[in-house]
Amino acid sequence: MEASGLGDHISRRFNKDIEDLRNHVLAMGGLVESQLSLAISAIVSGDSELGLKVAEDDYKVNNFEVNIDEECGRILATRAPAAGDLRLIVAIIKTITDLERIGDEAEKIGFLASKLAAMDRPSDSYRELKTLGHHVAHMVRDAMNAFARLDVEEAWEVVREDERVDEEYEAIQRQCITFMMEDPRSIKRVMNVTWCARSLERIGDHAKNICEYVIYMVQGRDVRHTAIPETADS
Amino acid sequence: MSEAARKFVIGTVLFLLAGTAIGWLYDRPAAGLLAAALIALLWQIRQLLSFDRALRTGDFDDFRQGEGIWEQIFSRFRYENEKSARRKHSYRQLLREVRKSTNAMPDGAVILNVENEIIACNRAAKHLAGLKRKKDRGQRVDNILRDPELTRLVHSDDQSLTVEMASPVKDGDWLNCRVVPYGADQKLLLIRDITERMRLSKMRRDFVANASHELRSPLTVIAGYLDSLADDAEMPPGWRKPVEQMQGQARRMRHILGELLELSRLESAGKAQTDEPVDVGGLFEEARSAFEGHADIASIVVDVQSTAQLRGNAAEIETVVVNLLSNAVRFTPQDGRITLRWRLDADGAELSVADTGEGIDPQHLPRLTERFFRVDKGRSRDNGGTGLGLAIVKHVLARYDAELIISSELGEGSEFRCRFPVDCVIVAPPVALS
Repeated sequence: MEASGLGDHISRRFNKDIEDLRNHVLAMGGLVESQLSLAISAIVSGDSELGLKVAEDDYKVNNFEVNIDEECGRILATRAPAAGDLRLIVAIIKTITDLERIGDEAEKIGFLASKLAAMDRPSDSYRELKTLGHHVAHMVRDAMNAFARLDVEEAWEVVREDERVDEEYEAIQRQCITFMMEDPRSIKRVMNVTWCARSLERIGDHAKNICEYVIYMVQGRDVRHTAIPETADS
Repeated sequence: MSEAARKFVIGTVLFLLAGTAIGWLYDRPAAGLLAAALIALLWQIRQLLSFDRALRTGDFDDFRQGEGIWEQIFSRFRYENEKSARRKHSYRQLLREVRKSTNAMPDGAVILNVENEIIACNRAAKHLAGLKRKKDRGQRVDNILRDPELTRLVHSDDQSLTVEMASPVKDGDWLNCRVVPYGADQKLLLIRDITERMRLSKMRRDFVANASHELRSPLTVIAGYLDSLADDAEMPPGWRKPVEQMQGQARRMRHILGELLELSRLESAGKAQTDEPVDVGGLFEEARSAFEGHADIASIVVDVQSTAQLRGNAAEIETVVVNLLSNAVRFTPQDGRITLRWRLDADGAELSVADTGEGIDPQHLPRLTERFFRVDKGRSRDNGGTGLGLAIVKHVLARYDAELIISSELGEGSEFRCRFPVDCVIVAPPVALS
């Protein structure tokens, strides 16, 4: 395992434990990514069956979280890791919480998609939700890539990206308010759209959090609630 | 022993003998031998040092030519050295060519070791799947491409398995992946861009669905007027037959359009979701009773060997049974026999329809499930049937991971067997709670 830069340990079992843990987190990330993209396509194509399937499958993400959590606890108890290994475990414990929340938001979106599918669709088939959704899905993918490659540069990129997602969310919200004022009969539907956008925006925040843990894991410094540097070398 | 080696041994011995002889002249043979040996040793040391220097500097041109056996060693070494340098150069050239050609490949190729760690990848893999050539070396491929389907693919031993996944680089693009094992414990992951293919097949599906839908409404109007015309008592008798024929053809067209729509629905629906228990024996009886009134058809035998039920959608399984049965009825003479059979075995369940009809030429079997394919183009058009029945059967079965096996012999009859996998079968019917 030279590529991850996690170093070698005297105990090969320890090495393998850590490696397995990392693989499980990335597998969980993969599942969450696919849940998210399925939820988005359920909204865009108005596929209520797909939306409900996403909502049903959320238990798989939850199982992953519980298992990885237990694994982390076991490593902490039996190996008493220090320095980089300790940071890795701490970062993983936090990362899976955020991944699980992303899964929950995807579940919510899937459920809303099945509701929206039953209502009449606007002529643009929720294009702005699609754009925001793809944007956010990319952030989650890049965050997991940064985690896999321990790539601080990529992590900062995602952190910066979150601001743009917030702006997009703001724009959708404003648009929704306009719709509701124009035609009060559409309020029920537009409220659901707002909820979807809200969930997507939250997913962006979680992706940003994961990247902050990656930076913590690699560099050992906490960059939460600090100013975002223009370039990563600061 | 080579010529030079012999010369060297003889020369050394003669030199030592000469030294001894000279020493003997002066009455000191031992001192003479010693002096000769020392001279010989010094000469060898000089040659050795000079060889060592040439080895260290790698400079064989500016190196004093050895003598005797040393000259041989020098030139031999130099020759081998140049040869290996030439070989290395040509290998490097070859490697460069190979790398160039793999980079020119439009499909992505990733070399994996037994742990699924990336050893190398070509340029297309970088563009298609977003792999980073230097950075991702040694990473597990399913850590970078985290699609759950791909993870399943690289961990399975099934070589024929291919998966389709959305491109991680470009939204809306689709990739097809497969794994080919080679060498000792190495695997090649091949990634192909199938965006265009997916787009075309979607376009075809949409076109068929839209066209059938659009054709249906004008047809309804035509059929409506034909019906009222047929009911008109004042119609001149010469028109009676043409109107009836038109009515029949309109009905047939409506039937074809209905089946086309059903087919495109099945195609875009993906895997079956519903899992209500389906009583196959009951379906058989229903299908048989539908044909009961007809006088000039073969006898239909129902052979239900198991009470097991099928997990699926009753309407879809019924479509399968009705389509297979109506085909059998159409191609079996009056004195023939049609057997509907349902049985269980170790690998799953089998629903089969066998007849003693005219049979099918084996050369036509592979194309039988194509839309509108007809074995005998001239004749069977009037036989009823839309030419879509078997295509529908195939698509329904695909939704249950079931397989359609057709065996037939000309003049003997045909058998259509639908094999369902184990997880589609409910062996013990659920007991009703009182």
